Amino acid sequence: MKKTLPAIIAHAAVILALILLMGFLGVIAAGVAAEGSEKFTGELERNVTLRILENDTAKEQGYLKELLEAFNKEYAGYGIVAVDANMDQYTDLEMGGPYGYGPDVLYQANDALMKYVDGTRKHILPVPVEKLDCYAHVDDNAWDAYKVTIDTQEFVCGVPVNIQQPLLYYRKDLLPENWETEWDDDRNGVPDMIENWCDLYRYSQLIRQQSAGSKYGYMKSLNDGYFASGYFFSYGGYVFGGEDGKDTTDVGFSKNDGYLGGKIIRQLASVMNLECTEDTITKNSYSRMAQGAYFATMTTPDVYTMFLKEMVLAGYTEEYAKENLVMTSVPKLPVSGDLEDESQGFREMTVMGGVNGYAISSYTKAPNAALAFVNFATSYNMINRRAELLGISPARGDLAETLGGLNATINENLADGTIYVMPSVRALAQVWTPLQTYCAVLADDALTGKNAYVTDDALKKGIANVDSQIYAAIHTLGGA
Amino acid sequence: MNQAKMKVAKAKTQKVLNILITYCILVVVAFVFFFPCMWLVLASFSKSGSIYSFDGFFPAEYGFDAFRTLFTDTVMYDYPKWFLNTLFIASMSCIIGTVLTILTAYCMSRFRFKSRKAMMKTTLVLGMFPSFMGTIAVYLMMTQFNLINQHWGLILIYSAQAPMGYMVQKGFFDTIPYSIDEAARIDGASNFTVFVKFILPLSKPILVYTALTAFTWPWSDFILPKMLLIDKNLYTVAVGLMSLGETEFARFAAGSIFIAIPIIVLYFCLVKYMINGMAAGAVKE
Repeated sequence: MKKTLPAIIAHAAVILALILLMGFLGVIAAGVAAEGSEKFTGELERNVTLRILENDTAKEQGYLKELLEAFNKEYAGYGIVAVDANMDQYTDLEMGGPYGYGPDVLYQANDALMKYVDGTRKHILPVPVEKLDCYAHVDDNAWDAYKVTIDTQEFVCGVPVNIQQPLLYYRKDLLPENWETEWDDDRNGVPDMIENWCDLYRYSQLIRQQSAGSKYGYMKSLNDGYFASGYFFSYGGYVFGGEDGKDTTDVGFSKNDGYLGGKIIRQLASVMNLECTEDTITKNSYSRMAQGAYFATMTTPDVYTMFLKEMVLAGYTEEYAKENLVMTSVPKLPVSGDLEDESQGFREMTVMGGVNGYAISSYTKAPNAALAFVNFATSYNMINRRAELLGISPARGDLAETLGGLNATINENLADGTIYVMPSVRALAQVWTPLQTYCAVLADDALTGKNAYVTDDALKKGIANVDSQIYAAIHTLGGA
Repeated sequence: MNQAKMKVAKAKTQKVLNILITYCILVVVAFVFFFPCMWLVLASFSKSGSIYSFDGFFPAEYGFDAFRTLFTDTVMYDYPKWFLNTLFIASMSCIIGTVLTILTAYCMSRFRFKSRKAMMKTTLVLGMFPSFMGTIAVYLMMTQFNLINQHWGLILIYSAQAPMGYMVQKGFFDTIPYSIDEAARIDGASNFTVFVKFILPLSKPILVYTALTAFTWPWSDFILPKMLLIDKNLYTVAVGLMSLGETEFARFAAGSIFIAIPIIVLYFCLVKYMINGMAAGAVKE
């Protein structure tokens, strides 16, 4: 009896502690929801100033000025004024936000924004997105990039603006004169080197031979994990497992036939130079393409104007540059995973992409006005203007359909999963270094003749090692 | 006789050889130091602006575009504003920092008080730690004082840290005979009068040296302004130049050269005082 009483008390204490813990977690989740819903009362704050953080291109091209002027005119009656936050576009809300130095509304990529809710402190607010005009027009996959689950409750913490996807940029005037007869096997009027990687690889070899190594075909910094990851995804690899792709205990670049991505990277490196093992090509591709030293490269659509600017600086007229600088979907990859073997046909390349959007800071003193701004900035007209000026691919399906061309294709790619959206988890930061190092080693291996990664076994082992390094960085070393 | 002549000739040859080798080494060293500066100057005159359009090591075409855009294209990168911000911060830090350093050094040199030695030792040890060690603490303190994103926050830090390096100035004051102070005091001069009317006029070299060092640190510092300044309009030149786009190398080079001009001019004008100050401060009476 004497032993039983303390045991009962101990059990009761444990149960009580568990109840309290569950209650506490419930309060946290409810708190996040309540924080959002309580702040968005629908009543606009009057006579407030909103600081808007936009990206540099929006500022440079004059879009931000137009947006702010239009919004301020619309909401002048409420005394709401939106101003440029005039901060670095990559400003970290975590650092200045809590002390009142952050912006009220910020535009960044989904992984950058969602890291603000992937911790103990929530720096951005859950947004009542169903109240926004754009809600019904944006694809679910784009909204998914901003969803966060806290204790089984789901919240949306960002509003998609545009979809980022790697695209192939090439110079039409650098195509071979006989491409219609020699480089268009299916006679569909599209050069084969734009349609599949095998022919782009072959054409790159040819350019190097004919120019005695002074000119190149396809050029890209192969160590860039954002772009290189697509080769692994296309053969079944992935970043994180789980239904929502956020299970960080399951790192999967090596899963299925992911190792074949490494094979492609090695082969592509062989038609480049050692600069492909570091960032040089990413930085010099604008001027090198303008000089005609590179035929093609891969990058995102938002830098189109940079290529144009360099071509004009190189002495071309803007008209000529616009006509000959082409931006198109990335080519198809061979099913065989070998750029010299197209016997098994081709498959669409899955690329890593992102969804850039707006979020509202938790530290804003005018959440309703901020929501009004987000609603205004994501309206059909404003996004249309943004697309016109900045060349972005809108996340609004209705607008993408109207604009057609690549915009519609990118939206379709997002819907059918050809775009692998960057997982919106903080642990993503631990992915880049191991992946970049491995890709750089592969490229170096091909160019310096070390040939350590020639066999499938070596490639499998290499990418499996990357997975375990990422896992260790997240879990063992507490990097997440 | 012949032997003596031969010795003289040998000595002459050796001397010439010594001079030749010395000059060769000097030329090589000078080239090593001069070449990057020359390359930066040439890069600033690059017409295309991008480092990747260079014809080998040097720009393919030359022009003044980078300098022109530096002062006219201010929508994204407001260099004139950054320049004025830097000038304001450096000047104010220079004035306040110099006053504080000189006063600290004078006190430590002339007055004997309790814990003087302990304070001197403590400052000596603290001075051995790099200033960026306390960056996070400084940031948190500045948030509490509401001095983030304000030039005065930076000025306060630079000025407050300046007296930590008072040793050279103390060394200088130590060389001024104490009998001057005593004579003045017999004539009824207060401590302040002795300092202002007798010691300061004799301390011109160390004043110039102190002012120059107090000016150059904030003028070229990057870490603190990068951490404390958020608004682009408040940036200093060092932070602003780092925010330039990837294709703006010529503008970066032009900005770096232009920011160096005032400091070079100051050095050339005041180098005489500086050397005197440093030499005198290094001597212990």
